[in-house]
Amino acid sequence: MISITRDVIDTGTMIEAAKRPGMGALVTFCGVVRDDGVERMELEVYEEVAVRELETIRDEAMRKYPIESVDIVHRVGSLFVGETILLVIVGAGHRKEAFAASEYIIDRLKRTVPIWKKEFGRDGEERWVPGEPGDQTSSPPPG
Amino acid sequence: MKVRVKAFARFREILGSDLPIEVPDGATMATVLAALRDRAGDRGTAIFDEGGALQAHVILMRNGKRVKRGDLDTLAEGDEIAIFPPVAGG
Repeated sequence: MISITRDVIDTGTMIEAAKRPGMGALVTFCGVVRDDGVERMELEVYEEVAVRELETIRDEAMRKYPIESVDIVHRVGSLFVGETILLVIVGAGHRKEAFAASEYIIDRLKRTVPIWKKEFGRDGEERWVPGEPGDQTSSPPPG
Repeated sequence: MKVRVKAFARFREILGSDLPIEVPDGATMATVLAALRDRAGDRGTAIFDEGGALQAHVILMRNGKRVKRGDLDTLAEGDEIAIFPPVAGG
């Protein structure tokens, strides 16, 4: 499943749903709101493009690694410290390729999926989290 | 003709989130950027440099596809232009 959601991500249910008989390993990556003086953050998305980009990343990972499944759910809206921002689940026969694919997916997602975060500090400060340097979006190169 | 401009994150705070912009037939991305520059005024320094050119980090899309800043293609009625800073999801 690939989705953008405004609801709480139910990690346990999603992992159970991803299981298939041929899988010996499910590697999950869970991105969480970290407390570095932050009370909450707001995530914003260009939804049509983000969903399409997540599907492209899933398809690339499936071609690149011998894995059986990729699920990605990204939350947007207002999130507090400790809440799950992102869940990536990679199912595979064996752990090695599942770990590698999981890392590939999260690295790629951070560079190209149009989602932004604004942090609201306990001191009342508001701050946009700077974007990742790199190629941004998979379509034509910057010009 | 009308095109729609969607701006995101810091750029949304400067330009607004979803703007209908009236442009003449034969308009290109440059026409839209000129309109956005006027709209942003003094607050536009995150998007445009002192000479009015786009800052290096600005990303543009037309109908969901990345386009180069110097793109000379003629826009069409109803096109959706997106303008945003580097992404920061995950």
